[in-house]
Amino acid sequence: MSRFWESNGNMIEIIQQIINGLAIGGVYVLIALGLTMVFGILGIAHFAHGSVSMFGGYLTFFLSSSLGLPLALAILIALIVGIVLGIAIELLAYRPVRNANHINAFIVALGLTMMVEGINLQFFGADQVIIQTNFDRVFEIGGVTVPELRLYVILAAIALIGAMTVFVEKTKTGQAIRAVAQNRDAAILMGINVNTIPLIVFAISTMLGVCAGVMVGSLFAIAPGVGEGLVIKGFAVLILGGLGSIPGAVVGGLVLGVTEALAAGFISSAYKDVIAFAVMIIVLLVRPQGLLGKA
Amino acid sequence: MKLGTLLKTTAVVITTLAATSLPGSAEEKTLDIGVSDALTGGAAVYGLPQKNAVQMAADEINAEGGVKVGEDNYMLNVIAYDDKANPTEATNAVRKLIDRDGVKYILGFCCSGSTAAVASFIGNEDAVMLVGNAAERSITTLGLSNLTRTRPPADYTGAAAGKFVADKGFKRVAVLGALDVSFYASYVDAFEKSLKAGGGEVITRESFSLKDRDMTPQLTKIRGMNPDALLVVGYVEPAAFIYRQAVELGIDVPRFGFTSGSEEQFLSVASDEQMEGVWDLRPTELTLLSTTDNGIAYHKNYSEKFGAAPSPSSPYAYDQVYALKHALEKAGTVDDTEAVAEALRELPIPDEAVMQYLPVDGRLFDANGQAYTSNGAFQWQKGNWVFVQDLPSDPKAYSEFLSSLH
Repeated sequence: MSRFWESNGNMIEIIQQIINGLAIGGVYVLIALGLTMVFGILGIAHFAHGSVSMFGGYLTFFLSSSLGLPLALAILIALIVGIVLGIAIELLAYRPVRNANHINAFIVALGLTMMVEGINLQFFGADQVIIQTNFDRVFEIGGVTVPELRLYVILAAIALIGAMTVFVEKTKTGQAIRAVAQNRDAAILMGINVNTIPLIVFAISTMLGVCAGVMVGSLFAIAPGVGEGLVIKGFAVLILGGLGSIPGAVVGGLVLGVTEALAAGFISSAYKDVIAFAVMIIVLLVRPQGLLGKA
Repeated sequence: MKLGTLLKTTAVVITTLAATSLPGSAEEKTLDIGVSDALTGGAAVYGLPQKNAVQMAADEINAEGGVKVGEDNYMLNVIAYDDKANPTEATNAVRKLIDRDGVKYILGFCCSGSTAAVASFIGNEDAVMLVGNAAERSITTLGLSNLTRTRPPADYTGAAAGKFVADKGFKRVAVLGALDVSFYASYVDAFEKSLKAGGGEVITRESFSLKDRDMTPQLTKIRGMNPDALLVVGYVEPAAFIYRQAVELGIDVPRFGFTSGSEEQFLSVASDEQMEGVWDLRPTELTLLSTTDNGIAYHKNYSEKFGAAPSPSSPYAYDQVYALKHALEKAGTVDDTEAVAEALRELPIPDEAVMQYLPVDGRLFDANGQAYTSNGAFQWQKGNWVFVQDLPSDPKAYSEFLSSLH
């Protein structure tokens, strides 16, 4: 088996590209999971999600690099602040327009994006920041290399996705969330408190976003505009995987990440976004409901 | 409204008359000079230090008694606008300088896009444009008599770099660069030409865009081609990610680059170990280990004045001011921009120059208004860029080539 890999450079290259794509794919999945939950339960296109996750990344950078806290503690604090922020966004921004026309929530979402971007700029400045980690070892398996940091990002993404799935599928709160997503009125009749569910959804969604922000900040860099680019990718994943579908977000995110890597490696990096979106359009032509969406 | 305007106009006329009718021996006057440069945004790493350098040179000249033009002493007053390295903003900034502020001498210009936009119309203006760090070749092939540039074009350096890599015996070089930026592409073109002349070849040209931070797909492809060496051409931050990710992918070949980044800039992305051994093949800009007395003094004064170390390319702007000073003094006028532009062309290298210029026919600027510095090979050794050797460069031959492009 190992001789096959070593004698076949192309195969190694393909596997390497897939590994390259998995790390960024993991980030897309986390962003898309947050978006899909909010959209599934509340029908809101939460555009500010990318900026909020960058806020989490900035905060982690600030706590770990500027204040010198240990990275784990910095992430923990950023997660808690993120959860509070998510709850505040639901209570102060989206709840007042919950029963209004859809366009109102849409405008609120756009306004919120600009606001959070502005807050990031005001608090953390316009400079690009990189969260420093000490994970700079490299593992090599049969010609394929996996940097330590990327491995941890992939593992963390898997753990978070697993925890999310267990929470939504196995717990009572998770069942309530699914019930509200399926039929809000029936859920009210069943005695589910529809005022607390959105708060929980926003708390989880923002927490996942903060994790994605930390990953982007340590793998690459956080700078103004990065969050907006990420949220566009997140929505693309959402549509590719199927609106409101959690497994769809997972599959869609990985497909997008790996497609980008393969496109950049085998065709041209200049067209990687074009190719990724072309793949998405083709999938939607064949399956309008998305890869795992219900028709 | 109308009365106010009338009063204002009258006031201006009276002031002007008063000013011109004063006796004129060794009188102290003020000469406004303009700066258009990127003071905010991504290119501010190049633009802001240039603006500071202009200010510092102007302050030094003023402290020494100003610019002596004929009977008069002119104190320099710097008016700077932020062009964000954006062509539209730069056009607006320069129009404002010329039309509103009445400025005739405009300096700065760190970046090619914005500089090219201004160069496209400056030929019709009663003004002199002194370009600093912008490296796009075409800026000095427009045949403009009122434009000069202190930084050599990118391909002048690329040719020297290609020869250096070929002389080291590397035959198969993979290129990864911001190739949609034309001056980087021209660096690679010239690099390839002299590498070929030395018996080597560029086996692939991979590109990345300004916002890319994940270069592993391109690097994986390059790894599969088994190159002898890697050439990285682009802005500091993406280049730093490439150096880091090349190590992470186990690409164990010499890494050459054209980035002109400082140690701090690279270390914010990559670790010291990941940078060890990387080469930067670029103009011999300000680096303390390679610099002259002027360079050491510049570094010290700048650091004291602005509380931060000067960027390697900032002296291009500092040298502009001294070139302008000598040209004004030689022309004996501040009003006749044609005479000043002509004097600039004939100027020997000023004693105050910080960059190490190579004269063409004894002059700082050639017939195209282009100056040339020496090129150098710098290597990252234990956390620092170390000057290793000069790259053989032939400014006279390049100057003739540049003239042939008009």
